[in-house]
Amino acid sequence: MEFLLENILNLLGFLVGLAIGVMSIIGFRNTGSPTLFRLSIAFLSISLGFFVIWMGYTIEDFVIKSGNIERWVQTLGIAIQTIGYFFIAFSHSIKSFFPKSSYFRSVGILPLFLVSSVQLEHIFRSVSFILLVYGAIETMLSYFENKNKGAISVGVGLGLLALGEFLGWYSFVFPESILYTASMTIKIGGLVALFIPVSKVPLTKIKFDDDFE
Amino acid sequence: MAEYRTHMKIIGDILLTTRDDLRDEDGATVTYLIRKANISHSRISRILKTLVSQGLLEQIDSQGSNKYRISQTGREFLQAYNTFTNFADNFGLNI
Repeated sequence: MEFLLENILNLLGFLVGLAIGVMSIIGFRNTGSPTLFRLSIAFLSISLGFFVIWMGYTIEDFVIKSGNIERWVQTLGIAIQTIGYFFIAFSHSIKSFFPKSSYFRSVGILPLFLVSSVQLEHIFRSVSFILLVYGAIETMLSYFENKNKGAISVGVGLGLLALGEFLGWYSFVFPESILYTASMTIKIGGLVALFIPVSKVPLTKIKFDDDFE
Repeated sequence: MAEYRTHMKIIGDILLTTRDDLRDEDGATVTYLIRKANISHSRISRILKTLVSQGLLEQIDSQGSNKYRISQTGREFLQAYNTFTNFADNFGLNI
């Protein structure tokens, strides 16, 4: 059951991320908007992250057959996803999130070199959780400003991904519980919610212009 | 408090003005665009120069004064701009 859900989640994450990423690229090529460029990086990273984990599971299932995905593959996939979540949060002007001092900036990443891949996964999951919560709150706040109903769906989607990330991280404490399954189900719900408003964008009327910069 | 507008939003406002506000094909004067877009003369001059060079606006000489009207490329850009403004709105972002 977990294996099936894991595959559905990763495949769906790959496809949803790719679809939104490609739409953002088309938008960037047509308008030159830096916001759409950041969204492109964000969702293509998220897509790539899910793809890496999906490939890890597929290779493990059909080639290696060890019963467990290689830990570093999972960590790599989650790290790439975290980069994507960072760019979503960055699009909401997250600059104030970082310390002003160059000293703190330089030592801030030091812990990443001092921990094992298991701990790294915990760190990336917790960072992803913070970034997703930030993105969800900012998106919901934007709804109160412009009353765009699509923002509710995206906000809920990011919120569900954050909750799923939290439960996924927490399931390490109770490995045999239902938490991990719940985490993946919630994340699948989050991805669907994220895609709903984006699927309504009428891209067919847009003429893709190669010459416009 | 005044709403912050991105460079892209200002361009969108200028193109929208030249498309929707003008009844004929005469084009808009710089003074009219300054008033509608609410930006300084020096800034709008730079933007108009860019928009003309990109083919989004056409510059026409009318009775000794420069006027601007939207081109077909500009109309297509504006359509894409509106679509992707809604797209970014879904994420709570401004393009």
